[in-house]
Amino acid sequence: MNAPLSKTITLWLFVAIALVTLSAPTVVVLGASFTAGNIITFPPEGLSLKWYAAISQATDLRDAFLRTLFVAAVCTAIAIPVGTLAGIALAKYAVRFEKSFQVYLLLPFTIPLIGSGVGLMLVFGNAGVLGQLWPVGIAACVINLPFMIWAVTASAASLDPDLELAAANCGAPPLQTFLFVTLPAVMPGVISGSLLMFILALNEFLVSLLLVDARIVTLPVQIYNSIRSIITPDLAAISVVFIASAAAAIFLLDRLVGLDIFFKSK
Amino acid sequence: MRTAPKSYPLSWRILDALERLAAMLWPAGLKGAVPYVMLAPAVLLVGLLVLGLFQIADASLRTLDTTTFLFSEDYSLANYRRALTEPLFAAVAWRSLMAALIVTAVTLIFAFPYAYVMIRTRSPGLRKLLLIALFLPFFIGQVVRAYGWLIILGNQGMVNEALGLVGIAPMRLLYNYPAVLFGLVQYMLPFAVLMLAPALTAIPEEFEAAASSLGANWVRTFVHVVLPLARPGFIGAGVVVVTLSLTDFAIPAILGGGSQDFIANAIYDQFFRTSDQGLGATLTLMLVALGSLVVGLVFTLFGAGTLAMGRARR
Repeated sequence: MNAPLSKTITLWLFVAIALVTLSAPTVVVLGASFTAGNIITFPPEGLSLKWYAAISQATDLRDAFLRTLFVAAVCTAIAIPVGTLAGIALAKYAVRFEKSFQVYLLLPFTIPLIGSGVGLMLVFGNAGVLGQLWPVGIAACVINLPFMIWAVTASAASLDPDLELAAANCGAPPLQTFLFVTLPAVMPGVISGSLLMFILALNEFLVSLLLVDARIVTLPVQIYNSIRSIITPDLAAISVVFIASAAAAIFLLDRLVGLDIFFKSK
Repeated sequence: MRTAPKSYPLSWRILDALERLAAMLWPAGLKGAVPYVMLAPAVLLVGLLVLGLFQIADASLRTLDTTTFLFSEDYSLANYRRALTEPLFAAVAWRSLMAALIVTAVTLIFAFPYAYVMIRTRSPGLRKLLLIALFLPFFIGQVVRAYGWLIILGNQGMVNEALGLVGIAPMRLLYNYPAVLFGLVQYMLPFAVLMLAPALTAIPEEFEAAASSLGANWVRTFVHVVLPLARPGFIGAGVVVVTLSLTDFAIPAILGGGSQDFIANAIYDQFFRTSDQGLGATLTLMLVALGSLVVGLVFTLFGAGTLAMGRARR
C-alpha cells in the first residue's frame, strides 16, 4: 500500500520535530563534555578529555555516584521478588477484589511523586531512619513498582496455563512446577522489569531530593544543586555517566527481550 | 545396591526436601490463599505510601507557632484556610493546571504521528531508531535533560550564539513559562508514545486499507477510523501526561529558574525554605486530591485505557 505523499510529509514533519527535540539535550551534553574550553561555548573550542580527567579526581562526584549505585541496587533487589510474585498472582490466579488490588497497586503512579516523596519523608522521619541511604532505595522501589508488576504480568499472561497442568500431570509437585515452568516463562518480564527499575532508580531525583541530606546526596541531586549555580563542563562529563548507562540499558533490553516488548498488543 | 545413590542425584533430594518443607508450611487446604500471599509483599510496600498519606493528613491539621517554631498539639483547619485564600497559591495552582492542559494537548499531537510511524513502518531499522530516540531520553532522567536545555537555550547558549553569528541580539529564552512548557513536552513525549503504541498496534492495517478503498482520503481515515480506535491509548497517554506535568518539580525548578513555580515547587519551599510542615502537608494533600480527581474522572468517564494491568487487560 503506497501512502499518499501529503500523508508522508505531514507525519514526517511531526516526527522530525519530535526526534530533534528528544535528542538535542543528549547530543549537546555529550558534545559539551568533550570541550577543551573552561566554559561551554558554541561552536566548541576544540576537543579534549580534560573534563573526564577532572571528574575522575573529584571525590564528591565519585561518592555521589557510588551512593546512587547503592540506591539502585537496593531498589532492584527488593523489586524483583516483590514484583514477580505480585505480577504472577495478578496474571494467573482468579483473585477476589482483583480490581481493588489493581487500583491499590497502581497507587505509586496515581499519587503524585511529590506526594509520595513527602509522605515517605514523614514516615521515614518518624521512624528515625532518615539520613541513611537504604530508605532512599526502598522509596525508589515503591514509586516505580508498577513498572515491575506490569512487565511480569505481560509475560505471565502469555504463559499457557495448560503447561503448568501438564507439568503437574507428569508428577511435578507445586514448587517444581513453579520453579521450572512458571518462573522461566516470566523471565523476560522479570529481566526487562528489573532493568527498568535499576535505571529509573539510578535517575530518581525528586524523592531523593526530599529524602537525602547534604552528607548523602545522590548524583542527580548533586547535579541539580550544581546547575543552579554555575554551568561548568565537568557536569556534562558526569552526566555522560547517565547517558552511557541509559545506552547500556537500551542495548541490554533490546538484546534480551527486544525493545518492542513495551507495545505488544494484547 | 552399589549404584543406588547415583540414580537419585543431590539436586533432586534438595528439591524433595524443599517440596516437603513447602507442603508442611503450606497445607493443601490453604491453597486458595496462595495468590494473596504472593500479593502481600507488594501490598505492604505500597502500604508505606498509604501510611505516608495518613501522616501527611495528620501534619496538615497542625499549625506552626511562629514564635516557638513548634507544631500545635490540637487539630485545626487553619492551614486549609490559608492554602485556599492566599493568592500566591491560587496563582501557582492556576499556572500548573494550565501548563498541564497545554502540555498534554501538544504532547499528544506530537506523540500520535511518532507512534503511528513507529508502528506502521516497514523498515526495522527505522523502527529501531525511533525506539532508541524514545528510550534514551526516557532513561536519562529529568535533571540531565534539563541541563542539556540550559546549555542550548542559555543566554550564552548555543541558540543565542548561533543567532549572534547572523547578527541577532541574544534573547532571554530561559526562565519563562514557554521554556517550562517546552521542557515538559520533551519530558512527556516518551511516556505518551509508549502509552499510545499498544493501542495503535491493536488496529489492523486492513482497516485503513478498507477505508481508503471505500474512497476515504488519509485525513478522513485518520479522523474516522484510526483516532477513534486509538482511544484507549489516548486515554492512557492523556492521564499520564496530565498528572505528571501537573505535579512536576524538576523542569519548572530548572528551566523556570524560581520564577515559574508549580505546585510541587511551592510544597518543597514550604518544607525546606519556610519550614512550615503543616502548610506544606496541606498543599501536598490538596495536590494528591486534585491528581486523584483528574485520574478518577477520566477513568470513570472513559475506562482505564492502556493503563490497566493484569488479567483485565486481555
